[in-house]
Amino acid sequence: MPHVLQKILATIYKEWLLLRRDVGGMLVLLLMPAVLIVVMAMVQDAPFRDYQEVTFELLVADQDQSDLSKTLLQGLEESGHFHIIRQHNNQLLDTVQVKALLKKGYAHVGIVIPKGAAAEVSNAANQIANSMAGAMSMGRLPVRAQKDRHITLYFDPASKPTLRSAVYFALDKYITYASSRQLLQRLTKLSGDTTQSSQTFENIFSTLTVKEEALEAKGLKAASINSVQHNVPAWAIFGMFFIVVPITSHLIREREEGSAMRLELIPYAQLSVAVGKVLFFMLVCTLQFYIMCAVGIWLMPLLGLPALQMGQHPLALLVLVLGIAFCATSYGYFLGAYFKTVNQAMPFGALSVVILAAVGGTWVPVELLPPAVRHTALISPLHWGLSGANQLMLRGGGMADIWPQVTVLVVLGSLLVVMGLWKNHRRSLSV
Amino acid sequence: MPDAAVLINDLHKSYRGAFTAALNGLFLEVPQNTIYGLLGPNGAGKTTTLSIICGLFGASGGSVQVMGYDTEKHKAEVLRHIGLVPQKIALFGNLTCEENLRYFGRLYQLSGSEIKKRIKDLLHLMNLEKHGDKNVSRYSGGMQRRANLIAALLHEPDILILDEPTAGVDVQSRALIISFLKEYHAQGKTILYTSHLLDEAEHLCQAVSIIDEGKNVLSGTPAQLIGQTPGAAKLEDVFLAHTGHSIRD
Repeated sequence: MPHVLQKILATIYKEWLLLRRDVGGMLVLLLMPAVLIVVMAMVQDAPFRDYQEVTFELLVADQDQSDLSKTLLQGLEESGHFHIIRQHNNQLLDTVQVKALLKKGYAHVGIVIPKGAAAEVSNAANQIANSMAGAMSMGRLPVRAQKDRHITLYFDPASKPTLRSAVYFALDKYITYASSRQLLQRLTKLSGDTTQSSQTFENIFSTLTVKEEALEAKGLKAASINSVQHNVPAWAIFGMFFIVVPITSHLIREREEGSAMRLELIPYAQLSVAVGKVLFFMLVCTLQFYIMCAVGIWLMPLLGLPALQMGQHPLALLVLVLGIAFCATSYGYFLGAYFKTVNQAMPFGALSVVILAAVGGTWVPVELLPPAVRHTALISPLHWGLSGANQLMLRGGGMADIWPQVTVLVVLGSLLVVMGLWKNHRRSLSV
Repeated sequence: MPDAAVLINDLHKSYRGAFTAALNGLFLEVPQNTIYGLLGPNGAGKTTTLSIICGLFGASGGSVQVMGYDTEKHKAEVLRHIGLVPQKIALFGNLTCEENLRYFGRLYQLSGSEIKKRIKDLLHLMNLEKHGDKNVSRYSGGMQRRANLIAALLHEPDILILDEPTAGVDVQSRALIISFLKEYHAQGKTILYTSHLLDEAEHLCQAVSIIDEGKNVLSGTPAQLIGQTPGAAKLEDVFLAHTGHSIRD
C-alpha cells in the first residue's frame, strides 16, 4: 500500500477512535439534526401548504341578504379555502362585531357586504344591457343613477400578505362571476328568451378552465414542494455544515494540547493528516445526510407528513452529497486553521452557518427572498447544495443537472482547504 | 559525516509583537554522541532554540544545521534525525498509549511488525507495558512524561531533544527517565536537553551551555565551568554567578 494512503487511512481510523469515544459528540452530530428536521418540517407544514390545503375562518356581515351575496359566499365556501361564519352567539354578525372579533384574533379575515350591493350590480347590468339593446331595438330596463358601493374587507393585522391576496382575488372572481351572470340574464330578458340564460352562462364559464398537472419524468411521479421536501434536504445540509463546530474545536484543541505539534514533527505527514481528517468528516457528513433522509422517508409519514422523495438518480445524489460534505468539512478546516481559540471559533462557526443558511434559502426558498438577498444566496454553499438537492429530488434531474452546483461546492471547498493548509504552514514561520 | 549533531550560528528570533528578541545571536555546537545540557533561567530562549532546531518555528536570522542539514532547506531530513520530547504532552489524550504510538508509527511509515515490536519494547523500557491500553488522559503526570518520551523514540532518532523531561515528575519516574537517557546515549545517540534541575544536569551532561536573554553566557563541561567560577562548588553556583539572583518571569 502506498505510504500516503497508509497515512490517510491511519488518520481516518484515529479520527474514528476519537469520535467513537465521544458518545455525546456523536449523538449531537447524528441525532440533533434529525430532531431539527422533524421539528422544522412539522412547524413549517402549514405555511408550506400555502393556503391551498388550509381552510380559513371568514367572518361575514351580510347586510344585503341578496342572491348576489349568497352567490358570492357560496362561491367562497365551495372553493374549500374558507369557512364562512355568519353568526356569533346566535346573532348575525354586523360590522362592529366583525371588527371586534378580528381584533381578538378570532379569525384572520372579515367581509362586510353592504345593503344595496345586489341592487347596484343589477342597476349597472341594466345600464349596460340597455345600451347594448338600444343598438338592437330590443326595449329598455329600468335604471337609476349609480351609487358607490364597496364590499369591505378586514384583516387580522397578523395575517400574511399572501392570505390577503388570496382572499382579494377569490372575492374579485366571484363578483365578476355574479355580475356577468346578472348582465347575461338582463340581455336574455330583453331578447325575450328566458329558457337558456343559465345554461348558456355556465357554458361560457366552463369552456376554458385552469388545470394544474405535476411534471412527470420517465413515468415516475414527480415531487412537489412541501414542508418535508423542502425541510429535510435544507436542514440536513444545514446539519452537515454544523460539522464546522466539532472540526474547528478539534483542530484548535489538538494545537492547544500539543498533539498537533507531534504531527508537525513527522516528515511529510501534514498533507496526509489533513486529507485523512477531511475525508473522515466527509464520511460523517454523508452518513448524517442519509440518516436525515431516512427520517424523511420513514418517520415523517408516521407523523402525518408527506414522505420524502429522493429522486431517480441515487448516484447523482451521492455525488452531490459528497460535494456538500467536502465543502462543509473544508469550511471547518479553514476556521480551525485561522482561529486561535475555541471560544472565538465555535460561536463564529455556528453563527456563520446560520447566516449562510438564512441567505441560502434554508428557512425560506430563495425565490421568496427579497431581490437583494436572492443575489447574496450565490455566496452561500448551502444554497448550492439545496439547489442541487431540489434538482434531483423535486425536478427529477440527473448528473447533468447538478454539475454546476457540484463544481461550485468542490471549488469552494478546495479553496478553503488550501487556505487552511497555507495558514497552518505560515503559523510556524510567523510565530 | 559532520562532527556536530547540531550547529547553531548567530541565531536570532523575534516574536511578532514582543518587545525584546527571544534569541539574540546564539551560537551552539552539540557534538555527536554527547549528552548536552542547554541551561538558562526562564525566558532565556531555551524552548525557542529547541523549536527552531526542530523546524517548528522559523528563525529571524542565523542558521541551524542538524547532522549537516540546514533546518529550513531540508526540514524533512532534519526531522528524520530528530526526536523531540516537548514540555507539553504531545499525545492524543482520548487515545490509549498504544493507539497513539500505532498512529505515529504509521505516519513515520513504519511497517506493522516494526510498530508492534517497537511499541512493545518501548512500553517495557518505560515500565508502561501494563498501561498501554489505557487512555493517556488517565495517566499520572509521570506516566504521561514517559509516554511522551516513547512517542519521540518510535522512529529511533539519532538526536533526542528533550525540553524539561523531568519537570513535575516523581522521583521514581525521574530516575527511570535519566537511566534511559544514559542507556540511549550509550547506543551512540546524541541527547540535547533543557532543565532547571541543575544537579541533574551536572551529573547527566557531558557538556552544557548556559544562555540568558537569547545569548550564550558560558559553555563547557560541568567540571570546567565549576573550576572557572571562583567560589563555585556545583553547577548551580556557576549558574547563579553568571545569570544573577534576580527573579525572572
